Amino acid sequence: MTTPRLVAHFFRHEYGRLVATLSRRVGPGYIEDVEDAVQSALMTALETWTIAGLPDNPPAWLFRVAHNNLMGELRRRKGRRRILEQNVREDIGTLESGPEIFLAGEVPDDLLRMLFVCCDDAIPVESQLVLALKTLCGFSIREIALRLFASEDNVYKRLGRARSCLRELPLRPEELTGEQYSSRLPAIHKILYLVFTEGYLSSHAEMAVRRELCDEAIRLATILAEHPAGQAPETFALLALMHLHAARMTARQDSSGGLLLLEEQERGLWDQQGIRVGLEWLAKSAQGDSFSRYHAEAGIAAEHCLAPSFQETRWDKVVECYALLERIAPSAIHKLNRAVAVAEWQGPAEGLAVLKGFEPPTWLAGSYIWAAVLADLHRRCGNAHTANCYRDVACKSAPTPAVKELLQRRLQIGRPG
Amino acid sequence: MPKQKYLCIQRSQSGKSAKPSPAQMEEMYAKFHAWKEKFQKNIVDMGGKLGSGKVVTSKGETDGPFVEAKEVVGGFMIVSAESLEEAMEVARECPGVVMPGSSVEVREIHTS
Repeated sequence: MTTPRLVAHFFRHEYGRLVATLSRRVGPGYIEDVEDAVQSALMTALETWTIAGLPDNPPAWLFRVAHNNLMGELRRRKGRRRILEQNVREDIGTLESGPEIFLAGEVPDDLLRMLFVCCDDAIPVESQLVLALKTLCGFSIREIALRLFASEDNVYKRLGRARSCLRELPLRPEELTGEQYSSRLPAIHKILYLVFTEGYLSSHAEMAVRRELCDEAIRLATILAEHPAGQAPETFALLALMHLHAARMTARQDSSGGLLLLEEQERGLWDQQGIRVGLEWLAKSAQGDSFSRYHAEAGIAAEHCLAPSFQETRWDKVVECYALLERIAPSAIHKLNRAVAVAEWQGPAEGLAVLKGFEPPTWLAGSYIWAAVLADLHRRCGNAHTANCYRDVACKSAPTPAVKELLQRRLQIGRPG
Repeated sequence: MPKQKYLCIQRSQSGKSAKPSPAQMEEMYAKFHAWKEKFQKNIVDMGGKLGSGKVVTSKGETDGPFVEAKEVVGGFMIVSAESLEEAMEVARECPGVVMPGSSVEVREIHTS
């Protein structure tokens, strides 16, 4: 009378799989009905399985129940409509053909198709992100709000926008052409990158919560990379950068959850297996004639992973990658990062020289990152007064106590630079 | 296995409760798993969920008084224990009980 364990994230991932499979059959316009049907199938599973034990094939069991739920609901509605307005024919697609034997090989295809649907350019990017987290990763609105530091209302609105766009889509996802697949690839990369960075850069207190988003991004990117529609150097570079960052994630925190600087991190804690996988994807990404921002970012991450110590980092290579990144994806934050790398390579004065005459955009000028870098560089150049001013600004705008603590430690005057 | 058997009647508030998310269901399933392992020797019959029904009286059949009740009986199970206290301990730790608004009634079953 034991309850066998299910694979990690079984319910969340089955949710994504079922929503993807059923939406393909009835069309993404019915996504809300599909989600309701899947939700109640999971609920039935939870109640039944805890009492009677697991069925032989849990995914197939779930599929059958969700399929029947959906079909029942759509039939009911169709019946009601027929009474209201006679002779109305509602096309509910291939659903009437009944549940087929569930083929495992179908799964990645369906998930991927759903990912392409989520990234339709008719849907605003911030809604795409929420839609992907909801439908593909199985997070609830409250869970998404928590992870994106947004209000539930805001998440709900973004999701609503995505759903109404989906209802107006002329195409069923299986009708996407090869050309549409490849033209949407950049949008997919962007969404996966966003999911990853939401987790990686999040200041959420719980490591597990942050790690979850990174793992989801890696899971979906791997499915993409293994499918002909997604096989592109950019996809491989994206996966490389995710693995190379994720491998060092746990080492970014001390035992009490405080943030650690790169130079303070215990390199022995880095996940060597993860680094190996990342480097394999990086090698695979070096093909064709495209050099994307993901290539540059993966290159930087690889330099850090391969350096035996902070001091022995090949800062010249890091600087080179940042310069490339700046050219491909111009952003003030890349310039700032380059300045930091130059300071490590050629000294703090050279680092400051990179930023000389540069007017940061308001979003950056007001952030703690800008002030912290300037405070640090000035401190190391011996400009105590300027350093102090910037330090105060940085500490005041620190988003979390952990960041503030880190800044105070790093920006201490008199600390050897 | 302890001799005495107890009937556990699970009740919950009628009306809609918030639907758990897939992540919460994962957690509930895991908790249930742990609970079943811990009290393996006490659980005689996992019982089940109760569906809708009718009440039969000498005057005929009705939909029963229970549809009007604020609390509905959702399920039952049978546990064995040395004492009511022990049976209550099993029920208290059951993950189904911790849901807000739900309760479990534990009654001794007399067979002799």
